[in-house]
Amino acid sequence: MRKLRAFFLRLIGHARTQRIEDDFAEELESHIAMDTEDGIRAGLTAEEARRQALVRIGGAEQARQRQREQHTLPWIENLLRDLRYALRGFRRNPIFSITAIATLALGIGSTTAVFSVVDRILFRSLPYAYGDRLVSFGLSQPLEPREFTLGFFFFNWRDHQRPFEAVTYERGVGECNITEPNPMQMQCARVADNFFSTLGITPVLGREFTPEEDQPQGPRGMLISYALWSERYNRDPGILDKSIAIDGQSTRIVGVLPQNFEMPRLQHADIVLPAKVDIAHQGTENAGLGVPLWAFARLKQGVTVEQAREQMQPLFEQMRNVIPAQFRNEFHLTVRSLRDRQMHDDYQAAWLLLAAVLAVLLISCANVAGLMAARGTLRQRELTVRMVLGASRKQLLGQALAEAGVLAAAGAITGCLLAWGLLRVFTALAPTGVLFLTKACLDPRVYFFAALLTLACTAICGILPAVQRPRSSSLTARATGSKSHTGLRRILVVAQIGMCVILLSSASLLFESFRNLETQSLGMDAAGALVVHISLAQARYTSSEAYMNFFLRAESALRGLPGVSAVGISDSVPPASDSWHDEMRYPDLVVSGKLRTPASVGGKVNIRRVTPDYFAALGIHLQRGRLFREEDRNQSGSEIILSRTLAVRMFPGEEPIGQHIRIATYMPYFVLNGPLYAVVGVVGDVKNAGLTGQDDPEFYTLRRNRPEDWSSHNELELRTELPASTIAPWIRTQIEHLDPTAPVEVVPMRQTVSRLADRPRFQAALIGFFALCGLLLSVIGLYGVIAFIAAQRTQEIGVRMALGATRANILRLITAEGLRLIAFGSALGVVLSLATARLLQSFLFHVSARAPQSYVAVTILLALVALCATMLPAIRAMKTDPMAALRAE
Amino acid sequence: MAEKTEVWQGTLALMVLKTLESMGPLHGYGVARRIEQISGDRLQLNYGTLYPALLKLEQEGYIRSRWGTSENNRKAKFYELTKAGERRVCKAAAEWEKTTEILARFLTTTEEA
Repeated sequence: MRKLRAFFLRLIGHARTQRIEDDFAEELESHIAMDTEDGIRAGLTAEEARRQALVRIGGAEQARQRQREQHTLPWIENLLRDLRYALRGFRRNPIFSITAIATLALGIGSTTAVFSVVDRILFRSLPYAYGDRLVSFGLSQPLEPREFTLGFFFFNWRDHQRPFEAVTYERGVGECNITEPNPMQMQCARVADNFFSTLGITPVLGREFTPEEDQPQGPRGMLISYALWSERYNRDPGILDKSIAIDGQSTRIVGVLPQNFEMPRLQHADIVLPAKVDIAHQGTENAGLGVPLWAFARLKQGVTVEQAREQMQPLFEQMRNVIPAQFRNEFHLTVRSLRDRQMHDDYQAAWLLLAAVLAVLLISCANVAGLMAARGTLRQRELTVRMVLGASRKQLLGQALAEAGVLAAAGAITGCLLAWGLLRVFTALAPTGVLFLTKACLDPRVYFFAALLTLACTAICGILPAVQRPRSSSLTARATGSKSHTGLRRILVVAQIGMCVILLSSASLLFESFRNLETQSLGMDAAGALVVHISLAQARYTSSEAYMNFFLRAESALRGLPGVSAVGISDSVPPASDSWHDEMRYPDLVVSGKLRTPASVGGKVNIRRVTPDYFAALGIHLQRGRLFREEDRNQSGSEIILSRTLAVRMFPGEEPIGQHIRIATYMPYFVLNGPLYAVVGVVGDVKNAGLTGQDDPEFYTLRRNRPEDWSSHNELELRTELPASTIAPWIRTQIEHLDPTAPVEVVPMRQTVSRLADRPRFQAALIGFFALCGLLLSVIGLYGVIAFIAAQRTQEIGVRMALGATRANILRLITAEGLRLIAFGSALGVVLSLATARLLQSFLFHVSARAPQSYVAVTILLALVALCATMLPAIRAMKTDPMAALRAE
Repeated sequence: MAEKTEVWQGTLALMVLKTLESMGPLHGYGVARRIEQISGDRLQLNYGTLYPALLKLEQEGYIRSRWGTSENNRKAKFYELTKAGERRVCKAAAEWEKTTEILARFLTTTEEA
């Protein structure tokens, strides 16, 4: 405390130097006068007395100096002096300064931008008070690798678990509507009453749910999102306790969620409602398994995730028997941190980006360190003079650090502007390229990170060159600079080239992978296909029949539009794997007259319920047999169309057309009572598990004009030659005639496919950009070193030429310097890339991470560019006039 | 002239505080003379080091200063203890006593051994 006070006073002392010094001068004078008086009183002459007084005080000037050091902070003065000196130096040498600042801006800027993107994935704590102690737990199985729970399991676990302080759940997010004047479609989440307290979420207004509100017949309450509160209710604090009709039912607003609220599974939610799960009936509902839930828990203090898993395992084993025996073994218990659950497979992508950008940062630091070292060599005589005059090593280092600090700070400021621009580019390039990308922004935390980077750059660029200690011999050396001082710079250049090879080869692999992804066959004709999604309010469409009637009317309305050649309706559309679609297990398809496939033979099969025009609208090709016909829609029958993969798998070497298939059901137990389907056709495979996924086999059944073939899942597919922007308003008008409250989304299939390639595009573009930056910087670094060496050897070249060396000899001499560095660097880079290639494999699609052609191409590219950078100074050296070189002495 | 001992690092502050405690408000020259007198002229005090020490104590809030008039009607800066300074003297003196006691014990044991 006292130290701090003293520090502060000394800091202020800088501003009041003059007053304090005058004050002390007076005090000193009074001291000397008193001492002199005492001396005279003791019998000395006035002169002698004053002399002795001055001796006793150790000299007036020295005393003043000591006092000054105490009343201010001397290091601040030194720092200011160093900074002033550095600025003056940089102003004298603008090319050097601009190069160094631009280089650092590139490094710091890209690193800051990438950090702001990956921060939320890798480092930033979750927006819950207990973020680091939250886990997600439940069952996982091949069809659903992300854990979920069933009511019967959850409530049993809740009552018997030991590792958790509290457990809670949510029931997912679904569409709901505000059904009062100015209706709006909303996303409603359903959560348990202790959801907020378990995670650690405090409403900004109001309260969380009471246990009564979570009862099936309890009062209706809800919390609304901050955005909804701001936009619809203008942040009215009086909103609490008002009632609003949600899907026709009056519901009371009990609280407002904080601005940074996120559902633990990151779904979007405008409104949070109580789950109202009927706990008593979980043992009988859904074949005794209970309703699906997603469970979260807060670990007890000091319990790790692993311990929690071990403690939950016995509970899981006990409950296992409830699962039907056929797939009991497929179910596993999963307990993992909430962050792991959220990021799932985004960790790797985030690390990849961060590693690439750090490589760029290192290259740029190496470049600036090289530049500083070169500058240091040129200033060697000055540094030596300063040393001889008594500058300590520490002072010289301080000077070097001040110079690096000024450069890094200027680089960081420019870099932050660059980062801001880069973020915009990232988001425009691929909004879904990586989790949270659209939320990334430059906030104080990111600026703090940029400041840390600046310090690190200062240290690297300041200390590395200062390692070269000026020797007193250089004071007498006739030429400035000596050859040995390029050692550090050579090492830096080799390291730069090596890192550059890693970046370039990663980028080329990712590009190739992206190209494979773009050019692969989708199994359909995406160009000219539109998908129309219409959200119908569930309150107004209460039966399958209502949906059927609406969509049949929509179909005939759209068929009448000009330029539309086909309109199909299906319950789901390819190729995304994460959008809703129905699926089943392969063993539950049974070929009539054959034995069932053993249940252990896994795999899933996609089911799509379609109208006949579905295939024409999406451009899916028939391979055998026939498609569904329009007239089939009004007849009873049960045709099925298989995808090629499914046909080959079910009927190897047989004719599939005319075979019969039955589908097993499990409600309430395994039975084979489904309809018998007749195979009428086989169509080509369509990508249906995302762009990179393994295609799942698929079959199609016909949506007849009878309610049992319909559900609330409906998508319309259109084939048209017109651009989407032209036809979308026409579609909207048509649908408006049928239901003016239904929002309509028109998405070209091309756009959906392109969105799926977002992540590979994002990665390829980013790493490619970083690789080019790295290449540029390395080449500049190489050029700098070679030019420097050539300049230093001017006299030597002059002598050689005078002694008869040809220009070709000189060219070879200088180029050899460069070639050696390129060769070392490339070799280093290739070895390192091969060693790290394994880490890249999971990002690649149909490319081997060790594909030799990409390494060869990269090395050749680098060697060519680097050779150019070497040739420039070499040619200049070749043109040296021997007379001029010798006379320069 | 007997050999004089240099003032040890860190002890000057305590001497200054103790002097101000016993003498009341005093100017820099007075403090210096008083320290020399107390030591029986066995300490050699560089007066030039006294003022930074006084300034440091003032910055730390143990003493405060104001301009006044000396006994010889000369303008001089007077220093006096603050409350914190008084507490500091007691504490620092106790610490020194303990330290010297321990050190003395060490020295005697070594001689006996």
